[in-house]
Amino acid sequence: MHTEHTIESPHERQNRHKAMEAIHVINALKEDFKSPIKSMEYFYTLFERVYCNHEPLHEGKSKIGTMCIQIPSEIIYALDGVPIRLCNGFYTDDEIGGDLMPQKSCPLVKATVGLFASDNFSDKPDITFSPTTCDQKTKAGAIIESFGHTIIDVGFPRTKESEASRAYWRESVKGFAVELSKFQGKKLTRTNLENSIKKVGYAQSLYHKLTEFRKHQAVPILGVDMFLVTNAFFFDKIDDWIRAVENLVAELEQRSSEGVHVAGKASPRIVYTGSPPIFPNYKIPLIIEQSDAIIVADETCSSNRMFNDMVAVDEWNLYDMIDSISDKYLKACTCPIFTQNDDRIRRIIQLVRSYSGDGVIYQAFAGCQVYEMEQRSVLAAMEREGIPILYIESDYSPSQQGQLTTRVEAFVESLKNRKRMKK
Amino acid sequence: MTKNKFSLRRAVNNMNLVRFRFWFQIVAFALIVYGGYIGLDLGNKLPTFACVFNGEGTGGKCYVGELQHDLKHPLEGFIGFAGYAFLISLGMFAVWFWALNKGWCGFVCPLGTMQDWLTMAREKSRIRFSEYSWANRKKIKSIKYILLILLLLLPVMIANSVFGLPKLPNGLSMPFCDICPGRMMIPAFTGHFNQFYIDFSSKTDLVMTTLGMIITGLFLVGSFIKKRFFCYFCPMAALQYVFSKPALLKLYKDGDKCTRCGDCYRACDMDILEIADDVKTKNMVTEDCTLCLKCIAACPEEGCLEANFMGATIFESTKEGFVLRMAMDQHKESHAH
Repeated sequence: MHTEHTIESPHERQNRHKAMEAIHVINALKEDFKSPIKSMEYFYTLFERVYCNHEPLHEGKSKIGTMCIQIPSEIIYALDGVPIRLCNGFYTDDEIGGDLMPQKSCPLVKATVGLFASDNFSDKPDITFSPTTCDQKTKAGAIIESFGHTIIDVGFPRTKESEASRAYWRESVKGFAVELSKFQGKKLTRTNLENSIKKVGYAQSLYHKLTEFRKHQAVPILGVDMFLVTNAFFFDKIDDWIRAVENLVAELEQRSSEGVHVAGKASPRIVYTGSPPIFPNYKIPLIIEQSDAIIVADETCSSNRMFNDMVAVDEWNLYDMIDSISDKYLKACTCPIFTQNDDRIRRIIQLVRSYSGDGVIYQAFAGCQVYEMEQRSVLAAMEREGIPILYIESDYSPSQQGQLTTRVEAFVESLKNRKRMKK
Repeated sequence: MTKNKFSLRRAVNNMNLVRFRFWFQIVAFALIVYGGYIGLDLGNKLPTFACVFNGEGTGGKCYVGELQHDLKHPLEGFIGFAGYAFLISLGMFAVWFWALNKGWCGFVCPLGTMQDWLTMAREKSRIRFSEYSWANRKKIKSIKYILLILLLLLPVMIANSVFGLPKLPNGLSMPFCDICPGRMMIPAFTGHFNQFYIDFSSKTDLVMTTLGMIITGLFLVGSFIKKRFFCYFCPMAALQYVFSKPALLKLYKDGDKCTRCGDCYRACDMDILEIADDVKTKNMVTEDCTLCLKCIAACPEEGCLEANFMGATIFESTKEGFVLRMAMDQHKESHAH
């Protein structure tokens, strides 16, 4: 018998580690919960294909990398590009990036930098646009560029109330459109932009349909499944995503009419906010839902904040479409990088009310300064409103499971007691 | 879920407001401008520009014209019967106004409608609209009140010597009508172009009619590039606003539901910033609001903005309505790449 021995290359090792992280979460989603949803299979398979098998989805197409949520995908689609959001959730990449960033940096930014440093993409971006949101994201651009990638900064203001910031951002978006148009060798026209606005708007309207089901007493879909669905929008082919979500909506409709509830009768309903859970870092959401609570709504940039607001056009001409797109990405945004953020607080309260939430869980990545800093004002506001809230700091490491589980379980128990007392 | 059931409320909330308003305005325009030919007479206390100079065509008469006329009397005359008559007139105006509130501007006013037609022409020719800077937008707010005070004061000063000042010449008896673009534009729609003139008979007439011609020119050019250009300065709007609080039709906002996304502000022809940024006030009929309801149609938040008539919601913002109006309800697969 002859066995061939090969030495694993660093990329192969990275891929193997990432596949292990990915399959662990996929299996948990598939197997740890009651009443699984058939149409979620599409998403489980999609993540397995991309993250376990390292399978490219967009071969032969122009792939436009984006960071955060402020780079308008409407314009990318109109110019025949495929937007790929590169905010990263892998611990493997976080460790690589850790060597390149300051010690106390945000794991999301470290993981993103790590992925670029390793240059090991299944779908490698041809060019990447990075909005100047938080300090770390902003400064990471230059580091990434030093590895030989093309990064273009898109100036994003840190206030949204003033006329000047609105005008500034409109100019940024126009600049971005011109830059991308040159890169793609294609002109932005009234027709192609209108079509892509309507397509992205339709995708968002499907997301809104999904969230409607979560308002019901019997919730037919888990929060972690919802995070996976919205996360798929980062990189999936939009037409495939739309079809898969249409199927999901149909199945949830069915489940809803049958009264299927994926949690227990007494399970507290959680509104999730803070640093975004990005696959496979579903650590906190998984702990929450494995602790007999259910996430009914979220206020994070990997999910609700990305989908909630649609572009609203008054005059369907190019001038107004571009302005509407700009305003949508600025005015409605509740990113903590803004100087004042009453909008975010009001939004969380509104989500608690309209989704009958029993409590809020606020996660901040250790090193994500803006979310850490906003914690105080959010906690104070929740106290005023009489909404229980748990603040958790965590990172991408798999190590603190036990401690985090204890804290979440204690919070869930207290919510259950509160519910019982109310009755 | 009432998802697939038909309900009137849902149909209304899903309506295409642009189309509805377009036709409503055409009907209102026809009644106000041509109603007289079919014997329509809604009286002379209308809170909208139903122009007295439109002769037989007009379906009613503008109260601002009547008001200037009424005020051109010696003040002593107002003590007693004439005073009551004046108050009754004002009361009649208020009653008409309360029915629709500022909706008179957004749905009925023929000058408003003409401006909307010019806006449509601009949009069709793909020319961008212009906007005021926020600072200027704030500054020009007071102009309409100044015009209102002038139109009230000048007729009084013709018939009376105020503070010992000499009486004004009779040429200023209808000071606002002289400069109102409606005087020229509205009769033009019934084939009467005789208001396009400059009166050389006296200095006052010369100045006022020349101003009138200039303002009409500005009206046509201005409202082509700026939505509802004239309404920013309209003294009728100022007069109406005094009576707006008890009106029956209201625009309400539930600030808790507002994400301050600014879609309503973008849709607003009057660039009213408060509609998007104010999350405390319920009654959003502000001084420049024309109750055109475009903000409601543009709002994607369930029940955040609503048109309310005597306590009953008649049209409110819904996600479904928003998606339909933006034509985002269908998936068109593209094979371009």
